Amino acid sequence: MELLKAAYKNEIMKILNRKKPVILMALSVVFVLGAMSGVYLLNSFSGIRVTGSSEFSIMVLSILIYSLFPLFTIFICVDMFAGEFADQTIKITLTSPASRLKVFLSKILAAATLILGNLYFVMIISAISSAIINRNFPNLLRIFASYTMAFMPIFVFALVIALISIISKGTTSAFMISIFIFLLLNGLSLVFPNIRSFLFTSNFDWYRLVLGSYINFSKILRVLLILLGYSIMLTAGGCYLFERKDI
Amino acid sequence: MDTAIVIENLSKKYKNNRGIGDINLKVGRGEIFGLLGPNGSGKTTAMKIMVGLMKADAGDVIISGFSVLTAYEQAMKNVGCMIEKIVPFPYLTAYENMRLRSRFYNSLDDKQIDKTLDITGLLKYRNEKIKNYSLGMKQRLGIAMAFLSNPNILILDEPFNGLDVEGMFQMRKLITNLSKDKDTTFFISSHLIHDIELICDKVGILYDGRLLAVKDTKDILRDYSSLENYYLSEVDVNGAS
Repeated sequence: MELLKAAYKNEIMKILNRKKPVILMALSVVFVLGAMSGVYLLNSFSGIRVTGSSEFSIMVLSILIYSLFPLFTIFICVDMFAGEFADQTIKITLTSPASRLKVFLSKILAAATLILGNLYFVMIISAISSAIINRNFPNLLRIFASYTMAFMPIFVFALVIALISIISKGTTSAFMISIFIFLLLNGLSLVFPNIRSFLFTSNFDWYRLVLGSYINFSKILRVLLILLGYSIMLTAGGCYLFERKDI
Repeated sequence: MDTAIVIENLSKKYKNNRGIGDINLKVGRGEIFGLLGPNGSGKTTAMKIMVGLMKADAGDVIISGFSVLTAYEQAMKNVGCMIEKIVPFPYLTAYENMRLRSRFYNSLDDKQIDKTLDITGLLKYRNEKIKNYSLGMKQRLGIAMAFLSNPNILILDEPFNGLDVEGMFQMRKLITNLSKDKDTTFFISSHLIHDIELICDKVGILYDGRLLAVKDTKDILRDYSSLENYYLSEVDVNGAS
């Protein structure tokens, strides 16, 4: 456990010292502020009510979950795996006394921490923006539940990118393949609606299940189990490939 | 003498059919073992397998009584290593790179980091980003990272590469002192025969993926005028077979 903790702290330190995640977080802030200004102008001067008190945060989530959040995840995971394999910096981590299983888990845990951190960061900014636009406090519980639920499919996507990054030969190919797979899976769910329920990308908006007046708990549980199944399979696959990778 | 490293039937073949085949070797505790061989002979492959960077096709490596295949954490607990050229994280400082390693050892504090950086002559560059370091400075940092935890066993692949004359002298002194004073075991690979001759107690010759011979340096120097002559003779007699 001590070795896993040490490896996890190392991963967090490395990511926080990189520029890309900071730039992407800054972009999230810019987006939220831009959206806030737009909504405020429309609400105040055109007479069109674009969003209610809680809806602004949800609107931000519904846009970022298909754009900046996956991009943030791709950058983090590609840097963490393909980037370190490509420039050989991974040797420092792999020659530590921690086993490869622990190194892999520490990377996944660090990625999960940053994804969740970024989600909550955007949630807080958007909730404050929402309070400013509508001059009353949004339904924080509902917003918190939505952003927390949004973590699961993004985390599954992070595991897919980790897997791609271990297999691929460089950062560019890992980055391109990850984007291609994201677009392909989203495209497939549009073209073949009958396979939609099996694709994790079609559950990117599953947080909407807690937004209606009636909450279908059995459906939430079903989707949660599908996403957990994906997570377990991808973690096992990633671990296996990471263990066998020659440096 | 207590055995620190045991290599058993170690084999690894690449797609181009190069690699290493059926290597067997024992290194005693406190010994300085030198693995000599030309470029492409399989030195780095053998060392990568020893520290778990690569998986062998067959065979095993036992370090301090533990297999790197089945008990990696116990085997590597007291091992420091530097394989090929070290690539520290360029966006971190020397201190931060050292912290990446020290976190794995509860007993290591900032004092130990500073002490190790001082030994390798990098203390004054402690807070400089690695992207501003020269090749020699990166090599020194790699050595510092390997020595940081005061390991019982050090596996160093071409440790003299990129070092200046003074650095090479200091490195040789450090290795011999640690072996003498702290009974530290060294497994060093190099193609620099002179350095191997100066510091190693025992020498193994790896040629074309095969371990041709293992002999004490003092016996070699008794029978041959230099290690170079011994090496050429071994390669001539056994290298082609």
